[in-house]
Amino acid sequence: MSSSRAMNSSSAAAEPIHYQVTHETLYEYSSSVTHGQHLAHLSPRDTPHQTVLEHELLCEPAPAESTSILDYFGNHSLSFLITAPHERLTVTAHSRIAVHHHAPDALLAAQPWESALHADPYQTEALDVAEMRLPSAHVDCLPLSQKYASRFFTPGRPWLEALLDLTQTIRREFTYDPRATTISTPVEDVIHNKRGVCQDFAHLMLSCLRTLQLPARYVSGYILNEPPPGTEKLLGSDASHAWVESWLPQVGWVGFDPTNGKLANHEFITLAWGRDYMDVTPLRGVVLGGGSHTLRVRVSVARE
Amino acid sequence: MLDSSTESPNPALNPSPDESLGGIEAGSERYNEMYEAAGRPRAQWEAFDTLLRNTKRRELNRRLTSARRQIRDSGVTYNVYTDPEGQDRQWELDVLPLVLSQDEWRYLESGLGQRARLFNLILADLYGNQDLLLRGLIPAALVLGNSSFLRNAHGMLAPGSLFLHLYAADLTRSPDGQWWVIADRTQAPSGAGYALENRLIVSQVFPELFRSMGVQHLADYFTSMRNALLAHAPKGDGPQLAVVLTPGPFNETYFEHAFLARYLGFRLVEGNDLTVHDGKVWLKTVEGPLRVHVIIRRQDDTFCDPLELRVDSTLGTASLMQCVRQGSVLMANPPGSGILEAGALMGYLPRLCEYLLGEKLILPSIATWWCGEPAAMEDAFTRYKQLVFKPADPSHRFFPIFGNALSGARFAQLQQDIRRRPERYLAQEMVQVSQAPVLSTRTRQKLRPRNIGLRMHACVTPSGDYMVMPGGLTRVTANAKSRVVSMQRGGSSKDTWVLGGDEREDAQMSLLSSSFSPRDLVPFNAAVTSRVAENEFWFGRTCERCESIARLLRVALTTILREAPVDPQHPVLDMARAWSLLDAGHEIEAALLASCTQEELPFSLAANLRYLNQQAFQLRDRFSADHWRVLNQIQHNQQYNKTLNIDQALAWLDSIIVYMTTLSGFALDSMTRDSGFRFLSIGRRLERLSFMTRVFSVALDAEHYPGLTWLLELCDSIITYRGRYMSQPQWLPVLDLLIRDEANPRSLLFQARGLHDYLDKMENKHGPCGRQILREGLRKIAALDTATDFTPDSARLRETLALLHNLCYQLNDQLTSQFFTHPRTQSAWSSPWL
Repeated sequence: MSSSRAMNSSSAAAEPIHYQVTHETLYEYSSSVTHGQHLAHLSPRDTPHQTVLEHELLCEPAPAESTSILDYFGNHSLSFLITAPHERLTVTAHSRIAVHHHAPDALLAAQPWESALHADPYQTEALDVAEMRLPSAHVDCLPLSQKYASRFFTPGRPWLEALLDLTQTIRREFTYDPRATTISTPVEDVIHNKRGVCQDFAHLMLSCLRTLQLPARYVSGYILNEPPPGTEKLLGSDASHAWVESWLPQVGWVGFDPTNGKLANHEFITLAWGRDYMDVTPLRGVVLGGGSHTLRVRVSVARE
Repeated sequence: MLDSSTESPNPALNPSPDESLGGIEAGSERYNEMYEAAGRPRAQWEAFDTLLRNTKRRELNRRLTSARRQIRDSGVTYNVYTDPEGQDRQWELDVLPLVLSQDEWRYLESGLGQRARLFNLILADLYGNQDLLLRGLIPAALVLGNSSFLRNAHGMLAPGSLFLHLYAADLTRSPDGQWWVIADRTQAPSGAGYALENRLIVSQVFPELFRSMGVQHLADYFTSMRNALLAHAPKGDGPQLAVVLTPGPFNETYFEHAFLARYLGFRLVEGNDLTVHDGKVWLKTVEGPLRVHVIIRRQDDTFCDPLELRVDSTLGTASLMQCVRQGSVLMANPPGSGILEAGALMGYLPRLCEYLLGEKLILPSIATWWCGEPAAMEDAFTRYKQLVFKPADPSHRFFPIFGNALSGARFAQLQQDIRRRPERYLAQEMVQVSQAPVLSTRTRQKLRPRNIGLRMHACVTPSGDYMVMPGGLTRVTANAKSRVVSMQRGGSSKDTWVLGGDEREDAQMSLLSSSFSPRDLVPFNAAVTSRVAENEFWFGRTCERCESIARLLRVALTTILREAPVDPQHPVLDMARAWSLLDAGHEIEAALLASCTQEELPFSLAANLRYLNQQAFQLRDRFSADHWRVLNQIQHNQQYNKTLNIDQALAWLDSIIVYMTTLSGFALDSMTRDSGFRFLSIGRRLERLSFMTRVFSVALDAEHYPGLTWLLELCDSIITYRGRYMSQPQWLPVLDLLIRDEANPRSLLFQARGLHDYLDKMENKHGPCGRQILREGLRKIAALDTATDFTPDSARLRETLALLHNLCYQLNDQLTSQFFTHPRTQSAWSSPWL
């Protein structure tokens, strides 16, 4: 939990930025829930660029029991059981997080994108990189996404340039539209309709990168939603956000946000990562009773 | 050759053996299990050859018939979802066993045991430190890209450091006599129970050979399995409890789940019988939760836990994975073991065996190319005509594609598909599988050749080693040409006899009894699960409801016959309207007839009988064979959606009423008096009470309508009435007989008292569960004054009936909330990102 050492040499001098994040999820049921089991990915993890200073998760009604573990990807995963009959469930996560300024080393990131490929299949590589080259349940490798991706990855093009181009092009060519998709809209539909939200754009970009066998992972988190005066508010800032990280030798994982067409920097706060959204769903549950439900999510991210 | 009377005096003794027995194709390229050459049986088959030669056709047919009857009577089934026979397809068994010599068995035993040990270590590694992936002994993508690798199972603390408890392999034999593994089964290996069931039947078809050939017994294997699972399982929170977890009666191998559970003395449960709290698994029973220590799992991996795995699973138990990770339950096998079934792994086994065990792999796998390795993929393409292409990932299902059957264009398409997602494909060498004879009743020759495959099983022992079942399930193709050996595709099965056993022991005795000691006896008062209690309750209610509706329709139709043209205001028709059996606006007779047989009418007798069948199916393992037979007859005697005339309908209603009476007789006569029985009886009585109170209120509303015979008929009390009163039915004696007669089982008082007695017994055990509600009703009945209240215009009578009717609803709700599985409106959701 130490934040004394700046994790990125390029910005070692700058002070980390402190954020306060509140993420509230409210479920209202049409009839009483007598037994509810839930699984939350709502506690932010430490990363090379960020340190979690404080964190608490509050549930109303209070859980009868809860268990916290680190999941396969090293994310905090909390499961809890509520046995008190209830018609509303509120889960509130409060966190204080220090995020360092960071940017990929310009020279190293200018390697040809092919150096991120795993050229020799008989040579082993780190498993957390290897597995992010592969399609997953919600990120299929489609001929369509391969076609979309190939124009950015011309032979020998610098890695960062190609990735940023892809990131910005998705931002330009796709329309942000919360009504266009659901949590399970396949990548194929997103490409066809050219609409969606951050999760769809992240899945699309993952599909593009993984068809080329470039390592890419899904990141959930937050972005600053109280922008400095005079600057535009970022898309997706009123709820939890999602973007993509891709990996390059000697550089490591670098974040790209196709929803806003930019590199993920100190304005991005990481919650968890996985292969796709199913690995890091903020909150899911199995309830007995309950009828239909409505869901409200409120997120506030403020600089201290 | 079915009709033996037309045969020569001794048809079996034909001088040319290959003609009479058949079963071998001259110049066949396949290995023949029974014959080395025409007329020359292999040593282990000599006894069978002699027996078949010396047994008359008629005698063989007799044995076949007796085997079939036994299969039918023990209700052995194998469900095929798409089969028109649906839920109840009879198990197919060829009575000729596959015979394996002792030497052959020893080889298979050591090979299978070694594979089980190897797979246990592989599983421990993949869900542990993943050394094998880091060292490249297994390509990382093979595991990490496979949907059957469950990340939620990573880091699990397996009780006793055992990850694999049960293992099965599908074997086949090539023309040179070598056995090959074509598939490994690890997530929920099936077949051991069927093998045992086959043995029970076949050992009785050939009792003399079974004894004289020294066939090894299966009982020890199951005893060892039972003891081993309990020995390795965690302990605490009361006596150890072991369950067989089934997806339910609609699963293809449900029979086996029930059979194994019964044989091992484990409880048969479904996902919603279990609940997780305090980091442990509990069985929900009407007497409260019981800690579960062992789960034999017959559900697929990803369906186990709707919270952590497939959110759309309605079969699983939320948070089960948490218990698996913590090792608070022994699950045989743990979720995630399905990764070992990825055939792609086969090619790497020889190297893994040397690395992990320091041994050479004894039993080879069929040559396999995993397309996820680019070189292997290209190689497979160059020799595709000799290969069969299969899915390497369970999320990607397709039927095997035989390379030699592909046109150039289709191969090009396949190549394109594979190149897009190579890791999801594998290619395997095609084997000319071996053949064994099956007995035939339809052809001139007694034997016909069929392609066979052998499924063998291994299980962990109490000491942590593996024991291989000395036998197995031999599967037979549907016809001689079929290339795929599969029960799903309409094949048959055989018993498998392994020689070298102890000849002195009596076969059947040892199988049925020697494995049990007094402490193995399952206690009678085992707590009934909430789900079973609920099903019993509704089965009871539905039985009674079917009977009531059948009676009502019968009385209504007889009234029509008797009083043509019938008065539409007749109270029995009001009654039919009250039960939605008579739609306004339809011609009366046609509407009633439709309510007999038309299933799409939701309140018809046919719809209720269908529902009864579904209820019964859920309770299947609790019924005796005879009980089950009556239920089957009701379904077979079905007139679903037929159009009957009034005479046919009445005859059919008569038979339904007889069946229903038979069912209630069974319940009284042959069901164990556990709480399940009590719930069934309560369901019946509650339904009858509710039906009768409604009948009376309709009858009282029609007080001025002449004649009460219909009412007595409806309440099955006409004989009693006539025995007592010589006159036409009058209100006072009718109401006295039907409401407060203590001896008439159809009276309100009799039903209410019976219900009260059951609730009384339940309250001794479970505390208040509704007896108080009923007391009030009994008081009201007692308070009725014979002189003033047994007449249609008594307000007190009407009030009492209304109260009793209402009380039935209250009791139903009380029991539901107190004992039954919670309503199954499980839903999983996840919150979105924006």
